[in-house]
Amino acid sequence: MMKIFGATLVVAALLAAGGAQAQKKTLVIGMGSADAGKLDPHVASTTPDKGLLQYIFNGLVRMKPGQISPDTIEPDLAESWTSNPAGTEWTFHIRQGVQCHWGYGEFTAEDAAYSIKRAANKNTSSYSNDFSSIASADPLDRYTLKITLKNPVAGFLGYVANINGGNMVCKKAAEEMGDGFSKKPIGTGPFMFAEYQPQQYVRLVANKQYFRGAPMLDEIMYRYIPSDSSRDLAFQSGELDMIYGKQDQSWVDRTKQLEGVKVLAMEPGELSTLFLNITVKPLDDIRVREAIAYAIDRKSIVAFKGAGSSREAVSVVPSGYLGTDEHAPLFPYDPAKAKELLTEAGYPDGLPVKTIHTTLTGMETFIEAAQAQLKKVGVNLDIQLVEHATYHAQIRKDMSPLVHYQAARFPVADVYLTQFYDSASIVGTPKAVTNFSHCNVADDEIRAARVEPDSVKQKELWKTAQEKIIKAVCGIPVYEQLQLWAWKDNLDLGYELKGSLNLAPPVTEKTHFLN
Amino acid sequence: MTAFLIRRIAFAFVTLFSVLTLVFVIVRILPGDPAQLILGDQASREAIEAMHVRLGLDQPILLQYASFLGNALRGDWGVSMMTGQPVLAEVLNVLPWTIELTLVSLALGIAIGVPLGVWAAVRRNRLADYIVRIASLAGLSFPAFVSAIILLFLFAIELRWFPVISAHKGSLQAWTQSITLPAISLGLNSAAYITRVTRSAMLEVLSEDYVRTARAKGVPQRIVVWRHALRNALIPIITVAGLYLSTLIGNSVLTEIVFSRPGLGKLIVGALNQRDYTMLEGMMVIYTLAVVVVNLLSDLAYGLVDPRVKLA
Repeated sequence: MMKIFGATLVVAALLAAGGAQAQKKTLVIGMGSADAGKLDPHVASTTPDKGLLQYIFNGLVRMKPGQISPDTIEPDLAESWTSNPAGTEWTFHIRQGVQCHWGYGEFTAEDAAYSIKRAANKNTSSYSNDFSSIASADPLDRYTLKITLKNPVAGFLGYVANINGGNMVCKKAAEEMGDGFSKKPIGTGPFMFAEYQPQQYVRLVANKQYFRGAPMLDEIMYRYIPSDSSRDLAFQSGELDMIYGKQDQSWVDRTKQLEGVKVLAMEPGELSTLFLNITVKPLDDIRVREAIAYAIDRKSIVAFKGAGSSREAVSVVPSGYLGTDEHAPLFPYDPAKAKELLTEAGYPDGLPVKTIHTTLTGMETFIEAAQAQLKKVGVNLDIQLVEHATYHAQIRKDMSPLVHYQAARFPVADVYLTQFYDSASIVGTPKAVTNFSHCNVADDEIRAARVEPDSVKQKELWKTAQEKIIKAVCGIPVYEQLQLWAWKDNLDLGYELKGSLNLAPPVTEKTHFLN
Repeated sequence: MTAFLIRRIAFAFVTLFSVLTLVFVIVRILPGDPAQLILGDQASREAIEAMHVRLGLDQPILLQYASFLGNALRGDWGVSMMTGQPVLAEVLNVLPWTIELTLVSLALGIAIGVPLGVWAAVRRNRLADYIVRIASLAGLSFPAFVSAIILLFLFAIELRWFPVISAHKGSLQAWTQSITLPAISLGLNSAAYITRVTRSAMLEVLSEDYVRTARAKGVPQRIVVWRHALRNALIPIITVAGLYLSTLIGNSVLTEIVFSRPGLGKLIVGALNQRDYTMLEGMMVIYTLAVVVVNLLSDLAYGLVDPRVKLA
């Protein structure tokens, strides 16, 4: 029997020998998810979907490939732009001769206007909130787009960059396909959607008419491989050229030892924050919140998470954003002070605090470490683990007095402050986003900064807002988790990679294999 | 026979209806909002409510239930909330992958398990028996995802005989490449199970009077074991193999994930994570149907292997 079994294995192996190798002109990317979601750039919200869509779409402007700072914004579909001094009227001059994929015609100002309106529509976009300040978006002629804002918007160009709602869709394709657009996205980018095999891959082919020149690669195979181990093995066996890493330090250390491999912990860092609901007992007592803040040791947490893949938080807004106070007065680690404050607040023997938490591994390891630190001062963190979808639902129903959340946003302080600390975003309210702490202490500064045309004053307002939020302990920022990727060193990306707001390395017309 | 079939089919309908109702209730009791999961964590409450209207989740629950049952009766399983594609099309897309993996691994399980089980039974309490018993116990206790990773490491990384991504089709070579390691990973587990069942069924039969009589008449050992004894031991083996087939469909999820293969297991886990109500409901119909059909086929198979069984 064993002989037959062995013989079968050998025959199968012989038949299989010489299997397909990734060709030099095909880039095979391994992404950590089981399948594609909605491949509509105005709806897509997950790392795998955003990562893929960046190869298909352009914005009116873009962050320089490999960079995430708004300072690097450069022309994309718009060749140039102007705005009035108040920053409420923007005129974009659209590049001529840009072709939509698969023969959907030339991209014009009409497509751009349609795209902006689509991104602002709550029925067709996840990002409609971002565009709530837009009064109108109209083509003045075939190549000129005028956008009028109800009020100035901090870092407005970022909203029309190649991320989220800023991705430009082709009107004819989007209207013709309706809901089907999310399974056959049509854009203007360097790669065109060619094929989708459920639970396997999306295949993109080079857009030979790309306005920056035909891509050097012929094809991108974007494979969905949810198992971290299988992705690593397929990378080692040469079936994948680039992979989304397991988000922990041991993966970095292990992968760095492989030959011919580059590993990068790239921007943006997702800021891990403990949000404390300031309206419920016992967290409504500032002394209890301060005690929790004093009890968290950011340095140890980063040592635990791995210094090569994470770093200490600097403020309630992630580091490097336009307006982040890089030296914000965060609470230092002081367990003695924490105990003192708890005693003063009437909890000399400590107190229990409940949190509903996701089972996502990277986040779970942190909350367990935080639990151990809090226990030292007498705060017994009661962690109720639920799977991820349940976690999202329950924290939005105010069921968790302490919420651990990890997020990166467009790198302008206004976005983070508005979504997490403006009282209009308090969970449960009509405009609710992710203000879990019910924070309302910096509304005036956040709202004033949003419409402040003077950038110096604007930064001052953001700084004050951050100080007030830290002082009120609405949130305790702890660490920033970087995005981990690895690729074969014979792949020349064609630019210097520091980060990507779409959370995956860009593949441009210049990306190619060296041999 | 006809009365038996009618009864079983009627029973299958009742089972399906109960399962559908249960699934409808359970997926809605689960916390988690499909609209939130579709739109992501930056979506406002207004956008989420607009999505509820589009998905029909703003309707009263009884109305949703009535429309769900009505559609199910008409064979309309709706479209996936997550992808917007028809549920049936999504299921049919991956179903061949699951059927193929399940059948090949079950065949492998039978091919290894039945002879090993017989061999062990015939050599009861001798070294061979002990080895088979220990090996089958180890096979049962060994999680499929661990054996899968070991197989990949050995045959895909060290020996480079097979690819890690086992999802290629088109030619015999590609198919062989795609199926071998996943089928071994899943098949070893079923082989262990079938070995144990075969051994115990054979032990029972081997102590029957007619076996002793056959031996007394001088019938060669080979004929006694393989023709007289095994044939009579087949009923429990078929029952177990049949039941195990439905378990295999469920077990295949880990194998699908590790070998990066498409399949029903991955589809249902994805639907559950995303709270894709319509997809979950459609999938449960498939699973229920699969279990009902497999059980029915097992019952019918009894009649074929044992003329004493009357299906009435």
